[in-house]
Amino acid sequence: MKLKIRLSEKLHLTPGITIMLILIAWGLFVAMVRYANGIGAVSNLNDTYSWAFWISFDLFCGVALGSGAFTMAAIIHIFEIERFKPLLRPAILTGFLGYVMVIVALLVDLGRPERIWHMIVYQNHHSVLFEIGICVMTYTTVLAIEFAPVLFEGLRLPKIAHMLHRIVIPFVILGVVLSTLHQSSLGGLLLIQRSTLHPLWWTPILPLLFFISAIVVGLGMVILESSLSSRALHRGLEISLLSELASYIPYGLGIYLLLKFADLAYFGDLHYLFSSGMMSVLFWLEIIVGAVVPIIMFSQAKIRNSANGLLIGSLFVVVGLMINRFNVSWFAVEHIRNLPLAPDFMTQTSYFPSFMEVSISVGIVAAGVLAFTLAAKYLPLFEEEEETAVHEKTSALPRIQVQSGD
Amino acid sequence: MANKNQYAMLFDATRCIDCRACMVACSVENNIPMDKTRIWVSGIGVSGQYPNLTRSTMVYHCMHCLEPDCASACPVGAWTKREDGPVVYNSEVCIGCRYCMNACPFGVPKFDWDKGIVEGPLIDKCSMCAHRIDDGLEPACVATCPTDALVFGDREELIAEAHGRIAAHPDRYVNHVYGETENGGTSYLVLSHVPFKDLGLPEGIGDEPLNTLSEQYVGNTIPVALTWATVLGAVTAGVHTYKHKNHKAESLVKETAEAAEEEIQ
Repeated sequence: MKLKIRLSEKLHLTPGITIMLILIAWGLFVAMVRYANGIGAVSNLNDTYSWAFWISFDLFCGVALGSGAFTMAAIIHIFEIERFKPLLRPAILTGFLGYVMVIVALLVDLGRPERIWHMIVYQNHHSVLFEIGICVMTYTTVLAIEFAPVLFEGLRLPKIAHMLHRIVIPFVILGVVLSTLHQSSLGGLLLIQRSTLHPLWWTPILPLLFFISAIVVGLGMVILESSLSSRALHRGLEISLLSELASYIPYGLGIYLLLKFADLAYFGDLHYLFSSGMMSVLFWLEIIVGAVVPIIMFSQAKIRNSANGLLIGSLFVVVGLMINRFNVSWFAVEHIRNLPLAPDFMTQTSYFPSFMEVSISVGIVAAGVLAFTLAAKYLPLFEEEEETAVHEKTSALPRIQVQSGD
Repeated sequence: MANKNQYAMLFDATRCIDCRACMVACSVENNIPMDKTRIWVSGIGVSGQYPNLTRSTMVYHCMHCLEPDCASACPVGAWTKREDGPVVYNSEVCIGCRYCMNACPFGVPKFDWDKGIVEGPLIDKCSMCAHRIDDGLEPACVATCPTDALVFGDREELIAEAHGRIAAHPDRYVNHVYGETENGGTSYLVLSHVPFKDLGLPEGIGDEPLNTLSEQYVGNTIPVALTWATVLGAVTAGVHTYKHKNHKAESLVKETAEAAEEEIQ
């Protein structure tokens, strides 16, 4: 195996990195204000909207978007489809960084972050959130172990890296089991909200729908992240591999749509599709953006085989999933007014995320992007680039030109 | 099923005169600033059609569900349903995740949004004055109520009492005791002369506790995990053996061909 150690390379303060650093610094400042003066000092969260932007974006979207790691690990290590190997390391890193970002965000969102370890000690075995907490903590550790070989290669410790390589299979299986559990359980978290979540979204099969959509968005994220990093880092793009991944997406989304509408029909909720005003609009938005458009796009070989087609198609998958997670955890939830009929000065009933609230999430995302960029620079992240990707580079380039020439 | 012999409170909206003494008594007893009050008395105003106009008032407490959703949802078990009725909070273990606020169908728990990490924000809600019950006293709000709109006692007896009042004045009451069956039953019962929806009480919760399904779901975690791990392990081994065999067969064919070539030469 070739080792590409480039630690001597200097890090230049490019405009991109400078912007990331500014966003991180501002996020840190807002976090300090939050720790000093309380969550209410930086966010518009209130007793009626106790969960909103942070939970929808950081937790629901963050965990789902990190699912590329377990999807790719399963494809490569369990089904031994070795040709996808060049996509594994970036996917594992994206997953690992994604989960670290989720945990950091929760340390801001929790009222008592210093007690996060209470989940391990004071277990409530009836709580879906307890299960998610334990799974996320364990799975983040598993991802660290799965990524460790790359780190040790980067540190010129190939023996340790090789040793870790040999024991990776049990951890991959553990990782897939943990992912299955907590990806589903984020849907399970909402089962208790039967009386407040809109019937277009609430169903007993929410966990199953969450699991399927997590797998699909995992593939979408691998495609999106490869497309973006190939452009930002001026690397080749593994078009034939990504195209094959993209060809799986319509099947996954097809199953999802089938289940979703069969479920609505079974519970007699079809009439809400056009009769619920804004809720109907939000529902169709997520279905069209996240499912219908990607199915149409990725069923066509021409779009799948173009760099731009892959980028735009995967963007639809990812944005569609984010709309779904925002809907199900925020927009479609009827927020029960705390102290009903009390005057507004006592119980705020409206909510829109504040600038400071959003800037914490933005700062965390910036830190994640920066960490990924640094890893791509200093660690052998794209290990088989020479063997697989380089010849793709030659075949990929003319296609991009054809696209831009259109 | 929760203990049958537990305490409960009965609120009769026809008896309430909107004096709000209960609010004050609660804040004094529990040392709560008035702007963070645990109970809220709400004058709903005039309802009905002339000439049959009525005024009504609602006193909101924690409903003290028999199968509380807050207790089911809390990842660290900070909420407990006591055998004798009250749903109580353990401030020592709470991590401030606020899932209880999301899970409660009545929107009861409240959070200290203005407290930083040093003061330590907590969740607050009515405790049915559990500390007074331990001393053999009624909750402060009940003890204060001048018209007996709030009464305290054994849940079964209070339900019988409520039905007795409806039977005595069927023209005065809506023929239902809110909380007798809602969400699996609650220990805060409401009698009303106007539809419960007008009092701000959510309808359509159903009689099955909301947490039944999610508790079933969590209960399946370990079996599902073990089955799934076994399946994945078997698949991994199967795929590996299959690929290995094919690989062996391929190299065997190759070797034979090479050997044959050599022989020919």
